[in-house]
Amino acid sequence: MTEDKGLVIAGKKFNSRLLIGTGKFSSSKAMAQAIEAAGAEIVTIALRRVDITNKDDDMLSAIDREKYLLLPNTSGARNADEAIRLSRLARAATGINWVKLEVTPDPYYLLPDPIETLKAAEILVKEGFIVLPYINADPILSKKLQDVGTATVMPLASPIGSNQGLKTRSAIEIIIEQANVPVIVDAGLGLPSHAAEAMEMGADAVLVNTAIATAIEPAKMAEAFKLAVLAGRIAYLSGAAAESKKANASSPLTGFLRNE
Amino acid sequence: MTTTARHLDIKTILADRGLDGSGKDIWTKRLGEITEDEVKWALSRKPGYYVLDRLLILISPAAENFIEQMAQIAHRLTLQRFGKTVRLYAPLYLSNFCVNGCLYCGFSTNHQFPRIRLTVEQALADAEIIAKEGFRDLLLVSSEDKKFIGVDYMTELASKLRPKFSSLSVEIYQMSADEYAKLFAAGIEGVTLYQETYNRQTFRKYHPAGPKADYDYRLNAADSMGQGGMREIGIGALLGLDDWRLETLALAEHAHYLMKRYWKSRVSFSFPRLRPAKDVDRARFNLLSDKNLVQMLLALRLCFADAGMTISTREPAHLRDQLVKLGITRMSAGSKTNPGGYSTHADSVGQFDIDDSRSPAQIAAMLKQAGLEPVWKDWDSAFTET
Amino acid sequence: MGLLKVNGKEQIFPDNKMPATIADLLRQLGVDSTTVVAELEGQIIERKNFSTTPLHAGQNIELVRFVPGG
Repeated sequence: MTEDKGLVIAGKKFNSRLLIGTGKFSSSKAMAQAIEAAGAEIVTIALRRVDITNKDDDMLSAIDREKYLLLPNTSGARNADEAIRLSRLARAATGINWVKLEVTPDPYYLLPDPIETLKAAEILVKEGFIVLPYINADPILSKKLQDVGTATVMPLASPIGSNQGLKTRSAIEIIIEQANVPVIVDAGLGLPSHAAEAMEMGADAVLVNTAIATAIEPAKMAEAFKLAVLAGRIAYLSGAAAESKKANASSPLTGFLRNE
Repeated sequence: MTTTARHLDIKTILADRGLDGSGKDIWTKRLGEITEDEVKWALSRKPGYYVLDRLLILISPAAENFIEQMAQIAHRLTLQRFGKTVRLYAPLYLSNFCVNGCLYCGFSTNHQFPRIRLTVEQALADAEIIAKEGFRDLLLVSSEDKKFIGVDYMTELASKLRPKFSSLSVEIYQMSADEYAKLFAAGIEGVTLYQETYNRQTFRKYHPAGPKADYDYRLNAADSMGQGGMREIGIGALLGLDDWRLETLALAEHAHYLMKRYWKSRVSFSFPRLRPAKDVDRARFNLLSDKNLVQMLLALRLCFADAGMTISTREPAHLRDQLVKLGITRMSAGSKTNPGGYSTHADSVGQFDIDDSRSPAQIAAMLKQAGLEPVWKDWDSAFTET
Repeated sequence: MGLLKVNGKEQIFPDNKMPATIADLLRQLGVDSTTVVAELEGQIIERKNFSTTPLHAGQNIELVRFVPGG
């Protein structure tokens, strides 16, 4: 079996292939425990206007910034300009130049806009950002993003929060086959088995948020996802056999060689 | 930009894997150690995806006992991707003047014979005859005769040929990306160039002189084609110079690299096998058996579902008839490998002997009998003309 | 009286309470500066410059912070 050499994004190596989102948790404690149980090393966060009328507690103070790589996302951006602005703000705040690029003009399904995403990615890469773009599972878009220099591609399995699993399976297979950068399956993974399936297909990592945050016991669910990701990866590396189909016997094609 | 630094070039990839000759002993040993169980495992995997370890198994000596099974899978896969069709093309040789001294080639600068190069008009005369036979896919071939068969000649010829042929490709000495871009603008959409051998030492031995003696320069040609915007990139190794199994591994790595980097181009494999030629010493080479050739074709098809596979008239008729069911997607017919051979200079010296001298009509009939449709025209360059 | 547009909303300050710098503004609003990013008239202001960046009436300020998100 081939050894797992680890997930490498923009030259940085990670042991965990499970990225976790911090949204939708009931409390900072639940969130912190889930992150710990997931064994995650990369944690996504968002940027919002400070609500000056309501001084709610800062949930993020519960995350140890020395231990985890905080990956700001541009959620809420509806076009390239907004996403670029958010990215610059995030960089100013943390000094980190990593950004998960999310451009979602549709507030119902939160599906990413391919054109605005490509536009923003090209500009952000030129400004020195490490860009991880969230996209629909579009193989051509993936190639174009890699051409402009994004560090990964993050195709969705199904719409954010839908928990439907790998609806875009065939397209993701093509993306993985053609990719020159790590492929991180993001959005719609509702069960640990979905995450295992993505890893078995050869995905480099997965990002899970809703399924963990909204579970009855988030920390336990996080652990289940962690194990599923590990299982899927080991299965992939050991070379799972393909489904065998009954072959239709047809007349011999190489009989002519026997006369050699 | 950090991305380009992350993407290794083909020279580094081959060196890292020892497929430029540096790991010959290790690979040969590994090939010999492959077991039948491993072959069965490799054949159980979903076909059409490239993994070096899997190809290694498929071209191993152990896999020779599974050729029929490989053929069945390859046949089905080719059918799915390419349908029941085979593209037909004709080669048009423009010159047999050459500055290189390749030891295996009939056109080597060291051989004495009356050399011919065609003027644009003479080339058009040959092309006229080819078009009358029904061909719309033309391959322009030339030895390294840069002073006369240069970029300007090629672009002039291409623009004159374009109205008659919907697909123009070339098999000529290496050019730069800018030059390929010029050819593309003139209507040439594909280039074929063989590395001949990926083994550096062997390469040095067979290419002692001339511009072709530079291994790295030659290796970069396919990149230049991709950068120049060529839609079709043809690669291959001259089978018989070195160990065909190792050449197949290197060739596959090259194809895989090109497919990822120049994702808008289609990569095709050719299988030029050393055959008798005037003045060339047969005793020096490791000639492949038909079985070896078939195994190589099948192994590559099982790893590359969408790669084109081309077979020329170097190969005998009876073998070509069988190969069309094993993954071949494009073949030549009624070929003349001597410049002017179709019309003006019927007796000029050819690059190699033709072993399938059937006419295009006969080839078409053979294909129909095999349940395949001959495709003369696959694209219309008229759609891209402004 | 001074007016500042903060996060798209107009904030009116009596003359003697007009915040002189971004740091002052944050103090007045009761917002912890350590997790906040500020954008003044479209320009990003780094945290280390909060106490030295002056504010004038009529300016536009965006105060943004990191929050949980997927």
